[in-house]
Amino acid sequence: VRKHSEHVKMFKNKGKDETSLRRQRVEVSIELRKAKKDEQILKRRNIFIDLTEESPSLRKDRADEMIIQPSLEKIVEAVNGDDTQLQLLATQATRRILSRHKDPPINQIIKLGIIPKMVEFLGRADNAALQFEAAWALTNIASGTSEHTRAVVEAGAIPAFISLLSSPHMHISEQSVWALGNIAGDCPLYRDALIAHDVIPPLLALVSPTTPIGFLRNITWTLSNLCRNKNPCPPLDAVQKILPVLIFLLQHEDKDIISDSCWAVSYLTDSCNDRIQIVVETGILPRLVELMDSPDFIVMTPALRAVGNVVTGTDQQTQEAIDAGVLTVLPRLLRHTKPVIQKEAAWTLSNIAAGPSQQIQQIITCGLLPPLVELLDKGDFKAQKEAVWVVANFTTGGTVDQVLELIRSGVLKPLLNLLLAKDSKTIMIILDTISSLFLAAEKLGETEKLCLLVEELDGLEKIEDLQNHENDMVYRAALNIIEKYFSGEETTDLEPQTGQDGLYDFSVEKQDFNF
Amino acid sequence: LLLLQRVLLLVASDVDALCACKILQALFQCDHVQYTLVPVAGWQELETAFLEHKDQFKYFVLINCGANVDLLEILQPEEDTLFFVCDSHRPINVVNVYNDTQIKLLVKQDDDLAVPAYDDIFRDEEDEEEDSENESDGSEPLEKRRRFEEEVIERTMKRRQRREWEARRREILFDYEQYEYHGTSSAMVMFDLAWIMSKDLNDMLWWAIVGLTDQWVQDKITQMKYVTDIGILQRHVSRHNHRNEDEENSLSIDCMRIAFEYDLRLALYQHWSLYESLCNSCYTSSSLKLWSVQGQKRLQEFLADMGLPLKQVKQKFNSMDMSLKENLREMIEESANKFGMKDLRVQTFSIHFGFKNKFSASDIVYATTSLMENIEKEGPETTNFIKALDSLSRGNLDKLHQGLDLAKKQLRAIQQTVASCICTNLVISQGPFLYCSLMEGTPDVKLFSKPVSLCLLSKYLLKSFVCSTKNKRCKLLPLVMAAPMDVEQGTVIMVGIPPETESSDKKNFFGRAFEKAAESTNSRTLHNHFEMSIIELKTEDRSKFLDALISLLS
Repeated sequence: VRKHSEHVKMFKNKGKDETSLRRQRVEVSIELRKAKKDEQILKRRNIFIDLTEESPSLRKDRADEMIIQPSLEKIVEAVNGDDTQLQLLATQATRRILSRHKDPPINQIIKLGIIPKMVEFLGRADNAALQFEAAWALTNIASGTSEHTRAVVEAGAIPAFISLLSSPHMHISEQSVWALGNIAGDCPLYRDALIAHDVIPPLLALVSPTTPIGFLRNITWTLSNLCRNKNPCPPLDAVQKILPVLIFLLQHEDKDIISDSCWAVSYLTDSCNDRIQIVVETGILPRLVELMDSPDFIVMTPALRAVGNVVTGTDQQTQEAIDAGVLTVLPRLLRHTKPVIQKEAAWTLSNIAAGPSQQIQQIITCGLLPPLVELLDKGDFKAQKEAVWVVANFTTGGTVDQVLELIRSGVLKPLLNLLLAKDSKTIMIILDTISSLFLAAEKLGETEKLCLLVEELDGLEKIEDLQNHENDMVYRAALNIIEKYFSGEETTDLEPQTGQDGLYDFSVEKQDFNF
Repeated sequence: LLLLQRVLLLVASDVDALCACKILQALFQCDHVQYTLVPVAGWQELETAFLEHKDQFKYFVLINCGANVDLLEILQPEEDTLFFVCDSHRPINVVNVYNDTQIKLLVKQDDDLAVPAYDDIFRDEEDEEEDSENESDGSEPLEKRRRFEEEVIERTMKRRQRREWEARRREILFDYEQYEYHGTSSAMVMFDLAWIMSKDLNDMLWWAIVGLTDQWVQDKITQMKYVTDIGILQRHVSRHNHRNEDEENSLSIDCMRIAFEYDLRLALYQHWSLYESLCNSCYTSSSLKLWSVQGQKRLQEFLADMGLPLKQVKQKFNSMDMSLKENLREMIEESANKFGMKDLRVQTFSIHFGFKNKFSASDIVYATTSLMENIEKEGPETTNFIKALDSLSRGNLDKLHQGLDLAKKQLRAIQQTVASCICTNLVISQGPFLYCSLMEGTPDVKLFSKPVSLCLLSKYLLKSFVCSTKNKRCKLLPLVMAAPMDVEQGTVIMVGIPPETESSDKKNFFGRAFEKAAESTNSRTLHNHFEMSIIELKTEDRSKFLDALISLLS
């Protein structure tokens, strides 16, 4: 008798080997048969193969490898030859190899040296099929690593694709949009090269109320890539040309289009205050706040990101976001089931809490303290860290009354609990916040009361324990609070000893690691 | 195996299960494991027992029940509940096979389970995600995107492949679950466990033998499997019993010794008269066709051929002349050969308690079965079970003797019922199977409301019918048998058994067929027995159920 797990393993492997072997053999023979059949088809009609005429079996990607696959040498030969028909077949074959689902051999294709030819085919206005196949193949090559994209760009594909944007064949111009998106997404350098080649006017011209949705999605994505990346950020005039179209797209009903437009806006606002200003001036904030409340996760996420970026700006820019209603949506987002949303919402709130006391007052008025305390208590840890920042900023910038309101809302208990966190940076922020709270209490002459509260909430115990923390800063901050507010009857005899020999050495050793 | 925690033992009502239970109890005692024993006669009782005890127990041992259904689905246990399943019912439910955390199957390693490969019946979730890979993960859009082959076609292809996979899965599971059969005896599996732990005792070995013999008497395993397993046990027997051989004369009264022997396929003959045994053993009675006048004549001829005086033959076997007994087996065999009974000899074991008491393994099986299915009420439901269990201990000879008496009654009842069914042509061909229904009021009909007894009757009847009929096609048919179960509730018990052929693989398709037939006719059936091929059915629904069964199997 054996335990059954071992037993099963034996069976599982046994069964697997036998059946998979068998399956393989069958499959090979089917493929061979298919291969023969398709060869005949190709031979018989030695004419233009229209895409729509293809038999479905030709399109199966697994079958591809066996079916029409002429050897790579044959492809090279055909592409470089004079027979247009063979060029088309070879380009199509290349495109097929590159669009199979697993491991497209991009490197191998690049090494064949046929990319310049493919780029040349883009200009064959007399042969739309060839243009299309070449555009698709090049799109897939440019979708690889930076090196792959470079191979396409250096073959001169940028101007060729830009002029194809105006092709009379929609599928060709769509394929070009896609290819240009891949190039723009690679790096700021190529992005700006496209802009310098004047990609924006013909691209924007494709956006119209009659553009099919699939096509429009591609355009939106490419536009978002033209807004993407910093160091440097995209040229100002380009942004100013794109923005009105983005605002138009944000009104669309398709959620993929809205999502990508929001991402584009979030890229544009992830920048200096001047750039934020350009976006704010378009008056798009109310729409973004509305989209923050969308039931679609793919819309909500980038909208929240964009608005969050805006409130990193000036007090005035932040006020515009508040006026657009961001504080009325945030409570729901702080309570969202997805940790990512909780975190982003808390981050946004922390930046508003960093503002002047009038804005802090609006936080209180809009009822954000209860969800904040909940998040601090039970949220995802990353979100809790952001919530700690909210409290810290609030305590620093708020009036004594506002801080009192914060304490009354029950923030202290979850805040003190987080002193058990593993993250020293968070602990430091909490200790600093506690110090600020004591300063406020001192002003009111309520130090005793706060001491009692902290003790009641088991905070003293935790702060005392932090005197054993490996991080020197944490240790000092904790010690400082204990000495200042809780050293009533306690003897401080122990402190100098530990402070001098043991810990001093320790801190020197570890300093680099911690900060 | 199980430490410190109290264990709940759920044991089915068959002799093999009782034997496995005895071995496990001895092991528990040896390791000081505390346990509670609950006998379960069917699925309902199993469920009730589980519900009653699930709060107090984490470890459950199931003997001869539970392997062939999805236990987690049926019992909905907490996640920390652990089931150890030692069950000879096959096929094992695939979920049980591949559950690594809550279900531990005790299976003999060389049993051919033919379980479908994991990948053929379970599909990992990730395969399905692909369809929605781009949806709602909320992360930033990709910087670059490759264009794949036409995605619509891709997706339909994927869907088609999935459909094909599912169809194949159904087919595989159908093939796998179609036939019900039995694997190695649970008592033998349990003995193996004891042996591996070096805790095997001669008593345990005897229980293993009785467990295997039960499978043979109930016709649950093939002749091949029986002989193989006998061989395995024989090695253990010589290991355990060789030491005593030269000191045989010095055996004390409480000493036990197991011996391998070629014995006769005559039920209980050492505790009966040879004549009674010949008349009431399935093999001899069906071969000689004892239900007919011709048959009775043949029996006389047979006895004459052996040269045994009728007076001696009708005497208690114990009181027969010693001189006659000496070469009895050889004599009987020789004559039996002449009368077409070539397989009267069978490999089995016997046990000696001191000088006086000798039992063959099949004697114990008959006795224990009769105690378990005793129809005379003697207290609560579990009384029979406990009594049967006790009779397996060597200290309880009185219970064993009581069981032997009941067994004789049972065999006589079977024999008489078979004779009357055949003489009154109660066995009818329904096309795809033979059918026989016992009427209310038939003598001993109450006895056959019990599953094991009804199964025994069915096997005897089918064998006898095959010997009696001249219709060659009928000889190859399976048999469905029905008997009144509960008159007040208007129910019958129904069993289906595979055809009686020499090369029979003992695989039974009636379990599935009954399910289907009940489903298609909305018959009120109860699939409560651990054997899927035994069901309870409302008497009024019987005819539509049978019609459906006929058309299903035609």
